[in-house]
Amino acid sequence: MNTFFTKSEQIQNIIKSFNLTKSLFVSSIIIGEANIGKKTLAKYIFPNAMIVSGDNQSLVEEMLKTYDELIITDFQNLTNYTNLNFDNKRIIATANYVSNPQRVDDMFAFIYNIPPLKERREDIEYLKNIFITNSTSMLMVEKNSINFNKLILDLSNNSKSLEKSIFLHILKYSLTKDEIESIIYNYISKNLEGNDGYREYLGIYEKPLIRAGLDKFGSQLKLSNILGINRNTLRKKIYEHNID
Amino acid sequence: MNTISINFESFVERDNNPFILFNNQGKIIYLNNSAEILFGYVSKQELYNITLSYAPKTFGYKTTLINLNYNSYIFHSITIGYENEEQISIRLYNTPRINPIQKKDKTKLIKTDINLLLEANIALFQTKNKNPIKLLTDQDLPQFKIDQNSFSKLLRKVLNSFRSSDSMDIYLKLLIGQYIIIEDKKIYIVELGVSANGRYCDEDEEIRRLSIDNQIKSIISEYYIKLEIPLIN
Repeated sequence: MNTFFTKSEQIQNIIKSFNLTKSLFVSSIIIGEANIGKKTLAKYIFPNAMIVSGDNQSLVEEMLKTYDELIITDFQNLTNYTNLNFDNKRIIATANYVSNPQRVDDMFAFIYNIPPLKERREDIEYLKNIFITNSTSMLMVEKNSINFNKLILDLSNNSKSLEKSIFLHILKYSLTKDEIESIIYNYISKNLEGNDGYREYLGIYEKPLIRAGLDKFGSQLKLSNILGINRNTLRKKIYEHNID
Repeated sequence: MNTISINFESFVERDNNPFILFNNQGKIIYLNNSAEILFGYVSKQELYNITLSYAPKTFGYKTTLINLNYNSYIFHSITIGYENEEQISIRLYNTPRINPIQKKDKTKLIKTDINLLLEANIALFQTKNKNPIKLLTDQDLPQFKIDQNSFSKLLRKVLNSFRSSDSMDIYLKLLIGQYIIIEDKKIYIVELGVSANGRYCDEDEEIRRLSIDNQIKSIISEYYIKLEIPLIN
């Protein structure tokens, strides 16, 4: 069973409206950016409906002839609307954008607009907590071992980028030394070439080493002692790697 | 020349176009049947003011093209006339109603709980608007046949025209004592009214078109929209 997580009043009203029209034969469209949960919402409310993508015009037309209840995703990709007959059918379409608002207005009885995640503060917080719980459980990390002050939420691609940014942040706390080495090994194996590889890839471990050291110990003098290298060498490396 | 005196009063009395005769104080001396009903929707003073404003400059009669709307009454012109200083008359000409030429496809009509459609549309409206809504409905209204999709479009547009109002009043009720005859059957009428302190009228034409499509009588004013929906079962 699909679940749809939201604390937003606006989306709860959309769900309410959908639930009221669940048994009616009306056409509805949900419009909003990619990855804001349009398809999940449609599947959550109409779990038994067939799903067809607007990428395939002829399949959509075919399925409209056969089914009374249909979810059409990526409606914006349909090119010809004249053969689409929505009479006495329960249609739920989703679209990332609308290129012809007048046409959509004519075709659909219910037009819902879902705002992007960045405009739904209550949902960001709600989803963040869900993603943190899921990621810590999957990666087997204790929540209290993670420094969430440094967590930067990426909302550029709505829930997908949000989940990824949280997952990657938690992943950093779950890795062992061997796993980190293995990641670097894989990366270098894939990319190493040319004739300046040593200098080029040294930065992958030198840079985090110096940055973490500077953050932890504050002064270059103290860090050079801890690293066991000359202060001038450290300064040179800070300059080379462009470290602030 | 022989003149025959004919009393035309009974013709005027039964005329479908309202006729009112005022004295010079604005008191009504005579009004026909149609005018009597009209006064349910407009004040005497307002009609008297219109009469004086559009009166001819001197004795005689003057017809002016003017659009006047009073509830379901729509007039396209008026004739004002006076032959002495004591009396002045106004006659208002009804705009003919155009009967829908297209018959509604009966297969599209599905028995529906109108309260459900109304609530769903209010929920949709509230996804975009924060206006407080006062709702008074009759939950006991029986289900009746309606084109769910087309009627929902109409409701969406009606509510949307109130998108910037401070607050809205919505009611849904059975019009007691009123009915229409369709195929020799008495069909009761349900009235859906939405009112506020103002509204957008950018989609009024579309609202009229969708109403006609759905065999619904729409009464549209600056502050309210009323839909008279036949309760077909």
